[in-house]
Amino acid sequence: MSAMGTGNNDKELNFELNIMPVLDILSVLICFLLLTAVWIQIGTIDTRQAIGDNSVAGAKNPPSLWITVNTQGAVQLSLRDLPGAKTHEEQIRSAGRGVNWAVLEQKLQALKAKWPDLKTGVVRPEAQASYGDVIRIMDKLKQFEFEGVGLSPLG
Amino acid sequence: MKTSSFVNVEKRRSPLSEVQNLKPGMKKGKSKAATLAMSLPLTSLIDAFSIIVIYLLIGTQNSGMESSIPAKMNLPLAEHSVGLDKETPVLSIQKGVYRLNDQVVPVKALTEKLSELKSKSQEKSLELLVQADQEMKYEDLDPILRASSQSGFEKMKFAVVPAR
Repeated sequence: MSAMGTGNNDKELNFELNIMPVLDILSVLICFLLLTAVWIQIGTIDTRQAIGDNSVAGAKNPPSLWITVNTQGAVQLSLRDLPGAKTHEEQIRSAGRGVNWAVLEQKLQALKAKWPDLKTGVVRPEAQASYGDVIRIMDKLKQFEFEGVGLSPLG
Repeated sequence: MKTSSFVNVEKRRSPLSEVQNLKPGMKKGKSKAATLAMSLPLTSLIDAFSIIVIYLLIGTQNSGMESSIPAKMNLPLAEHSVGLDKETPVLSIQKGVYRLNDQVVPVKALTEKLSELKSKSQEKSLELLVQADQEMKYEDLDPILRASSQSGFEKMKFAVVPAR
């Protein structure tokens, strides 16, 4: 087609590149990529669960932080199995409608500074607590390098 | 042999036909035909298309596994999430309805179905991906925790949207 359109002089060596098919290919490629592209990336927050009834009587548990969340967003921090059989409890009042995230962050930072071996965190929400808040608390625990983050069933 | 055609009487040089062919050196052929005023720069169009293709190839690639999110589900945001690295069974909760790999499962049958899934799988540490709306109440998640614990799922993953 290209040679026919412009080939006035038959003696000239004419190698013309028709760019219309290139445009077609690029258009098809763009459509294909737009349709198959992944626009929303999904991430995950990982937890480890206790399987069945695998609690071992007499086993020494590592120091752990238990976070209780109630429906109004009030949070209770309880430290268990600390060295010397100490216990520690703190309350964080809710900020209007939900959890007071700034205070929770400060408290977690302080606890982590005081007990660097604290690497286990268990979130224990009430039945009507928001799933979004629970995930955000687990996210905060990951932020402060809690390696074992778990969820406690109700009851 | 000279041929004459009535088509050539009103012959105009089309800029489109000129530009749509890349010539060595882009030398324009001598022609006495009049040039049309408008021209379509196809070469720059190819440049633009190429840039779009490269952007789409690089910008939208996903290194991990793909997972579809149910419609009208707002996953919670998380800053310290990890990517999905392998295919896992998906358990979604929407308005109290539990779906295991897109199949509706009654709450009472959750343990049985998960145990079945676990026994069929060849993987020792099979993980379970939970997809739920951020507005959901925790009591809707509780049956999953119990069922997964009883059926031997040690690791659970909660789907989130990574916050930037």
